[in-house]
Amino acid sequence: MSAVRWIVVRSVLLGLLLMATTATVAADLIDLRQIGAVTGDAASGKAKATACMGCHGPAGVAPVPMFPNLAGQHSEYLYWSLVEFQRAARADSPMTAQVAKLGDADMRDLAVYFAALPPAGAETKSAPSDALAAALFRNGDAARGIPPCQGCHGADAGGHPLAADAARYRAYPILRGQHAPYLTQRLKDYRDGRLTESSNDRIMRGVAHSLDDGSIEQIASWLQVGAQ
Amino acid sequence: MTITILFPSFPRRQVRTSGSLSLPFPAASHAITLSPSFPRKREPPFSLRANRQWILAFAGMTACLLGSLAHADSGVGVDTWRGNKLDPNAGTQSETPDERGTTWLQPGQHRSPSGNLYLNPSEPPQPDEYGDWQGYGILQLGLLGTGGDDNNALWNRYVDWDSGLILALLDYTWERPSDGTYANVRASRLSDDDQYYQAVFGRAGSYKIQAFIRDMPNVLSNNARSIWNGVGSNTLTLPSSLTPGGSTPEQVAAVSAATPERTLKVKREKQGLGYSMYLTPEWTAYANASDEERSGARPYGGPFFFNYAYPGDGGVLETVKPIDDSTINVNGGLRYAGAVWRMDFGYQGSFYRDRYTSYTYQTPFALTPSISNAISAPLTTGQMSTEPDNNYNNLQATFTRKIPWNGELSLTGSVGRMSQNDRLIAPIDCQGVFGIGLNGSLQTGPQNPYLYNCADWNTPNALSRRNADMSIDTSMLDARIVLQPTSDLSVRGGFKFNREDYRNTYLAYNPLTGQYGYIAENGAQGTVVTGANGSAEGGVGLWDPSNPSAITRVLSLPLDQQTIDANIGADWKVGAHNTLGATLDFLRDEPSHRERSRADDSSVKLTWINRSFDWLTLRANATYLKQTGDNYNYDPYEFLYSTSLPGFLAPPGGVQAQSVDALRLYDLASRDEEKLDLIATIAPRDDMTISISTRGDWNSYDAEIGRQGYNTLGATLQWEWQPSPSTNASLYYGYDRSKLRMASVNDLGAAADPTLGGGTYSNDGRWWTDDIQRNHSAGATLTHTIGRVRLDASWAYLDAQGTTRYRFATPAALAYFADGFLNSNEFPPLAYRTNSLTLGLTIPLMRRVSMRLFDYYERGHVSDWHYAGLAAGYVIDHRVYTDGGPQSYSANLVGLLVSVEL
Repeated sequence: MSAVRWIVVRSVLLGLLLMATTATVAADLIDLRQIGAVTGDAASGKAKATACMGCHGPAGVAPVPMFPNLAGQHSEYLYWSLVEFQRAARADSPMTAQVAKLGDADMRDLAVYFAALPPAGAETKSAPSDALAAALFRNGDAARGIPPCQGCHGADAGGHPLAADAARYRAYPILRGQHAPYLTQRLKDYRDGRLTESSNDRIMRGVAHSLDDGSIEQIASWLQVGAQ
Repeated sequence: MTITILFPSFPRRQVRTSGSLSLPFPAASHAITLSPSFPRKREPPFSLRANRQWILAFAGMTACLLGSLAHADSGVGVDTWRGNKLDPNAGTQSETPDERGTTWLQPGQHRSPSGNLYLNPSEPPQPDEYGDWQGYGILQLGLLGTGGDDNNALWNRYVDWDSGLILALLDYTWERPSDGTYANVRASRLSDDDQYYQAVFGRAGSYKIQAFIRDMPNVLSNNARSIWNGVGSNTLTLPSSLTPGGSTPEQVAAVSAATPERTLKVKREKQGLGYSMYLTPEWTAYANASDEERSGARPYGGPFFFNYAYPGDGGVLETVKPIDDSTINVNGGLRYAGAVWRMDFGYQGSFYRDRYTSYTYQTPFALTPSISNAISAPLTTGQMSTEPDNNYNNLQATFTRKIPWNGELSLTGSVGRMSQNDRLIAPIDCQGVFGIGLNGSLQTGPQNPYLYNCADWNTPNALSRRNADMSIDTSMLDARIVLQPTSDLSVRGGFKFNREDYRNTYLAYNPLTGQYGYIAENGAQGTVVTGANGSAEGGVGLWDPSNPSAITRVLSLPLDQQTIDANIGADWKVGAHNTLGATLDFLRDEPSHRERSRADDSSVKLTWINRSFDWLTLRANATYLKQTGDNYNYDPYEFLYSTSLPGFLAPPGGVQAQSVDALRLYDLASRDEEKLDLIATIAPRDDMTISISTRGDWNSYDAEIGRQGYNTLGATLQWEWQPSPSTNASLYYGYDRSKLRMASVNDLGAAADPTLGGGTYSNDGRWWTDDIQRNHSAGATLTHTIGRVRLDASWAYLDAQGTTRYRFATPAALAYFADGFLNSNEFPPLAYRTNSLTLGLTIPLMRRVSMRLFDYYERGHVSDWHYAGLAAGYVIDHRVYTDGGPQSYSANLVGLLVSVEL
């Protein structure tokens, strides 16, 4: 290659290099894989929780089954759920207005407060489909492409088996004793792709992809009554 | 001055035939599991998961088929990965790492079962919709420029860096999710000689068709000087300034010096078609065919008698062999994959055809007789056979069944035939007479018993048959069983039977003259030295009743062989952190017409894997092998020689010993081998791996003459760091050292005594060598993204050095030691050292357009004493070299590639 050609080539390369401008990497996903432990002031959280109690109950146990119980839930799950609500700001969600003005410390305080409350007692009645739901929760159904839920939520639905080891495992919620209507709606939202803000949402999108309505309701009912 | 010492050849009879009788044969389940891993670019993102599974299964099957296709090829592996030296990773280098990592379930990268980090995956494609179809791909165009010693053969090995515009990569995929139909085209073009194109079309779970074209260069020499015209053809002729059989070394050297240096290379052009389809969900059928054509020329031999023993006579010529051949590979079969049974019925065929059966070359030098008052015939042409046309056919059937205890039983049987029936070439290509005229004339008759008519030998009528008519039948039976009675215990066993039967031999007999044997050295040997002592080493290489004591090779060597291998082993998980394994193996080799009719290898291999710590995986393997056998016959080849012919008359004193009785060939000698491997894989952090391995292999041979020991030691140290998808780095260092100890003896006498220290192989002729190979290798890689700019850098270093040390009982042990090494004890080291550095920047220009700017610099140092002295000229006395040998170099490649996501 001649010297002139070398100069021309390198000049072009330098020009193209200068054309490269600054980064604009989109940060539109809540990545829960490397989160730290959520800490806060529970007393302060209690003071800020007044607005929450209408739907989630004064002790974090929702009187309306379409709303989730918060008492005893992992603080990491609660905090990141609030972050997600705030970031998503969906117009059809009642949470949008509730979280709009919360600061980060507020959300941490609230999460720590509700996590410290005693969880709701599970209903003790049994249902005819318990065995099927338990099998689906614990073993999944390979033929239908449904993985077992217990891998992330524990065999007794009491949370990730490694929740005590790392904060990221506490971003998976405790499901035992949760209201069935709430769980049903949540699973359908995952299945239908309405929840995609966090990395855990992406996991649930794949998990719920093959769940039919009947299976969802069976699992939700089984969880509500204690996941026995 | 060329510095050359030649040790005497190993005391074993050479196996050669005139007609080159060698045979150079070229060598679904519906279970679905959901993974939270992201869809990757290479996965068809069909909405129906079952379809994806089918595609993956289909792709896996196709890969197996392609693998088997490549397996039948002489260049195994060249077809399984469509890439080139610019993009050895077949496109992955142009892909952007996925910042999201591998899975939503955990941060960082996964580790393999052995504890190593998997590479970060690439971003999934962003397909465009075209009705029912979606498509995605990449177009990468660029400009390359080279500088420095960019004509160097080593720099251009398997690549043609043709400066200018290139198509670095075109890779586009169409998919129709509704039914799983897909198509893909992939292409790269660096030059006319270095390019590939591939097209694939199919439907998941139904069928797949693929076609490809691939051209690959191989530069063998960039500093060749041929004294012959006609390079690349089968007729090499001397220029008019030289007289065949009548030129002086000075004249030949002048022609060589005046010849411009040229490049000798071989280009491979390959094209193939493949088809596979599902007949039912369990049955698949496949068929593949490919044709590879090679063209070009390469440096090669050209015997015209050994100039060393007779300075000023004959010639040692490095000629140029034409390469113009094709190999057609085909395979096809049926496969069944059910819940319990798996079956495979397949056929493989390979068909090699060479345009040339032989090539001829003119020799510039005269032949003069070693006997006074005699004259030599004016031989001027030599010939060399090329590889014979040959066929390979093989049928194979495999049955595999699941059995209790979570086990599997597999049985494979195959039969095949390797055959060649190429036209045999005449023993010599000359006109008039060859040999020596003892009485000073070139008139054949009783007065000149060592003068031969070319007409009796330059025709196929001089052969005992016109065609090779050779074949080798192969048969194989392989049975394997694996049982896993518990999750902690795995037991395995195997039995394999292999057999090769040679069908036919060739007897070197000339019906025109009634003589046996072959014409050595294109007739040049017999034209310089008569067979006065009755030895083939001193004559033309023929036996007949009138010369009943001549010793020469008359028969091809059938190497029938049967091997039986049986093994049993188990792996046992002891507790939570340890796995122990043991394998016992017994191999019985029963070769025919070899020094031993039976050789037994017995070995035990113990393995231990320890995972007591989360951050450490330890592996240790120890093997002990002992090879024994039946009685060792140091010379089983007498039946190949004229000594076995009726009418052979032993000379006074008996037939000279052809081999020393103390010789033990390394493959059949009794041997003890110990091997030890230690491997530690350390994960000091989730994003980091350190690997340390050491290995040793010690072989001790029961041989006073022959290979006595072969030991190797090696160690590697590797560090790998992947702190994020956008950053990874690695360092590598490796060291290995091997030592091969040999002992031999020169035949200083011509007696019948084969004993070491006897009349033929006296202790004065003993010599020993130690071949020591020492290699250092190192490397480093770094990939890092700063903002939108991705930086990649890599460095590779290799320092290989080989040294041959020698000692000898007396100078008589060396055949030719006059060149100055008598007082030394080693040859100069053979050294090969390379340093290469790559620096690259990948810069996004707009949403779908990026640019890669890179520089690749390589420096190579070669030191090879075999080529010492050639800088002063390629002709040294009667030795004519064509290739100037490998050269040190320093070269640079700069490239600009613009990638557009399509």
